[in-house]
Amino acid sequence: MRKKIPTLLTCSALLALSACGLGSSGSDGGSDDTITIGTLFSVSGSGANLGDKMRKGAALAVKQVNADGGIDGRTIDWVFYDPAGDTSTAVQQTNRMLDSDGVELVVGGGGSSGIALAMDPITSSRGVAFIATEGARQIVEPAEDHPLTFKTTFNDTVMVEKLIEFWQANDITRVAFMPDTSSFGQSAQEELERLAPEAGIEVSTAAFDPAANDLTPQVKRLAGNDPQAYLAWTITPAGVTFLKNVRSVLGDDVMVMHGFGFVDERYMTQAGAASKGTLLVSPKLPVWDEIDKSDEQQPVMEDFAAAYADEYDGEQPNVYAGQAYDAMMVAVEALRATGGDPDGEKVADAIEALGTHVGVTGAFKFTADDHSGLSVDDVAVIRWDGSRFMPAK
Amino acid sequence: MDTGLFIQVILSGLSVGAIYALVAVGFGVVFNATGAINFVQGEYVMVGGLSAGMLYEAWDVPVLVAILVAIALTTLLGVLTEMGLLGFGRLRTPASITIATIAIAVVVKGAAMLISNRDTFALPSLLGPGSLQVLGASTSRQTLLNLLLAVLAVAALTLFFQRTKLGTTLRAAASDSETLQTFGVSYRTTARWAFAIAAAVGALAGAGLAPLTVMSFDSGTLLGLKGFAAAMLGGLGNPRGALAGGLMLGVAEAVMSGYGAAAYADVVAFVVLLAILTLRPTGMLGTSRAVRT
Repeated sequence: MRKKIPTLLTCSALLALSACGLGSSGSDGGSDDTITIGTLFSVSGSGANLGDKMRKGAALAVKQVNADGGIDGRTIDWVFYDPAGDTSTAVQQTNRMLDSDGVELVVGGGGSSGIALAMDPITSSRGVAFIATEGARQIVEPAEDHPLTFKTTFNDTVMVEKLIEFWQANDITRVAFMPDTSSFGQSAQEELERLAPEAGIEVSTAAFDPAANDLTPQVKRLAGNDPQAYLAWTITPAGVTFLKNVRSVLGDDVMVMHGFGFVDERYMTQAGAASKGTLLVSPKLPVWDEIDKSDEQQPVMEDFAAAYADEYDGEQPNVYAGQAYDAMMVAVEALRATGGDPDGEKVADAIEALGTHVGVTGAFKFTADDHSGLSVDDVAVIRWDGSRFMPAK
Repeated sequence: MDTGLFIQVILSGLSVGAIYALVAVGFGVVFNATGAINFVQGEYVMVGGLSAGMLYEAWDVPVLVAILVAIALTTLLGVLTEMGLLGFGRLRTPASITIATIAIAVVVKGAAMLISNRDTFALPSLLGPGSLQVLGASTSRQTLLNLLLAVLAVAALTLFFQRTKLGTTLRAAASDSETLQTFGVSYRTTARWAFAIAAAVGALAGAGLAPLTVMSFDSGTLLGLKGFAAAMLGGLGNPRGALAGGLMLGVAEAVMSGYGAAAYADVVAFVVLLAILTLRPTGMLGTSRAVRT
């Protein structure tokens, strides 16, 4: 019994400490010399790799803005949480940000569409503007139901339109489609199966589990329809298995494609010889040094790539870092337009009135009906040539 | 019926099934020695595959060297697991050991996340790239190697448990560790051997899996659960049962992917697990030994 007393004391001391910690977690939002922006990215848990890139992109934006004198003289006080890919954790953290951290504007929806969709009702009900960095179009559509919510990522509709344009230009009429079973893959499947038949393209689909280690049964099954191109839609390492399996079953001559979630040099390198010649629909960022200098986006991408490499020991930014950087910068631009007033409605009006915001991911044109802001013109078809991405012909 | 597709499904099933079998063997070894379910088993697979990939990429060592070092590192992790559970934690009952392994699995996964910087790592096949053509189907050469490894590991462990003194001691420890201790055999020592062997076999599975896909800190957990399902299917603690269970589970998943709804391929393992727990808790090849209390 005696032995237990110190333990009890320690426990209660710890409890008291943690309670203090919770209570005191910065409630300095709304002060005159700072603007508090809150961000959630999953830098641990599955998808941690992408979350880490997003955090780096957003952190770079904050650093640049603050070094540049902030927003009308007020610096950004950045509050960051890691929900580790868990939606219920993210909901608690969002509430905490808004209730006790004094967050006035939210940028970044946890790095997963499911989390962003859960955060939207919370930020909206508090009248706080939310700029998401996640893919699902349902986060902002229809815009009249999400007046305060925006995102700096492509809708899969835009990507699918670009794909169809590319297939039509290359006389491709039969496509094998392999989405993963996540909401990212399933949403693309919906769009492709809706839009492709109208364009005269026949799509046969076989989904796969993101944790799968072998996809040859699906590849072989789809091969029965004699498709001219094989397209996968995933952000998970299973996409590497897809590349290896397609080459193993069908040889080197078949056209292999990936969606914009798989634009990652590391994945391509790891697929070895199997990735050479892979075509991807992507933002222009991976080929920023190969596109026409007259493109208004070119200098923005060049500056971003240089600043990012400088900040992170020569590391090259990927499209996820770019999206997060854009989201933070859109928020900053809007706050500058409102004179630093973080009121949700004023910020939303300002974003819709930005005109064209030339970002890293594309030239955003937000309107009252379009809270995603990107169009087919912002998409490139790129090709992995064995050592780097190049624009596809 | 499309023979090519059928052969493809079987090959795919055997390829993945061989990995499940190795994981299942690992569960069996620890179960035999301690009566506990070691949920770090899946993480051993991750550590084996991930560290081999990291060694290969960072130091450009030959693949075989990377694999051997990875197996050694993982075996050390197995020994550390034992030291944590039975030494530091002073745990002795199967239930408490089982629960504590879950905590260790979380720690191992978190450490791997930080050490790997959340990146994925690949490993080329020991047999080189290129694929095997079999009756209109195709598979990676690595598949063949994995099947061979699984069969050899099972044969070796079967001989070890039946024919060697240490193997017999390990089995005796499971059956009655207190009596065994009166003979002067340390429970800790037998348990440490079991964790070391389980970790080594897990690392072997990881090194076999890495060339088929890529490894990340996140690769182990689900594999662990599937390996557990395979072990239950074949009969926990029986190496031959683990092989049969692993291959059957792999083929069942591949059939689901090739002919059914791929979205449910992952569910197969857990439906099998539920069914086997309800209908035949000792597994297909398990003895009718009841759970001791």
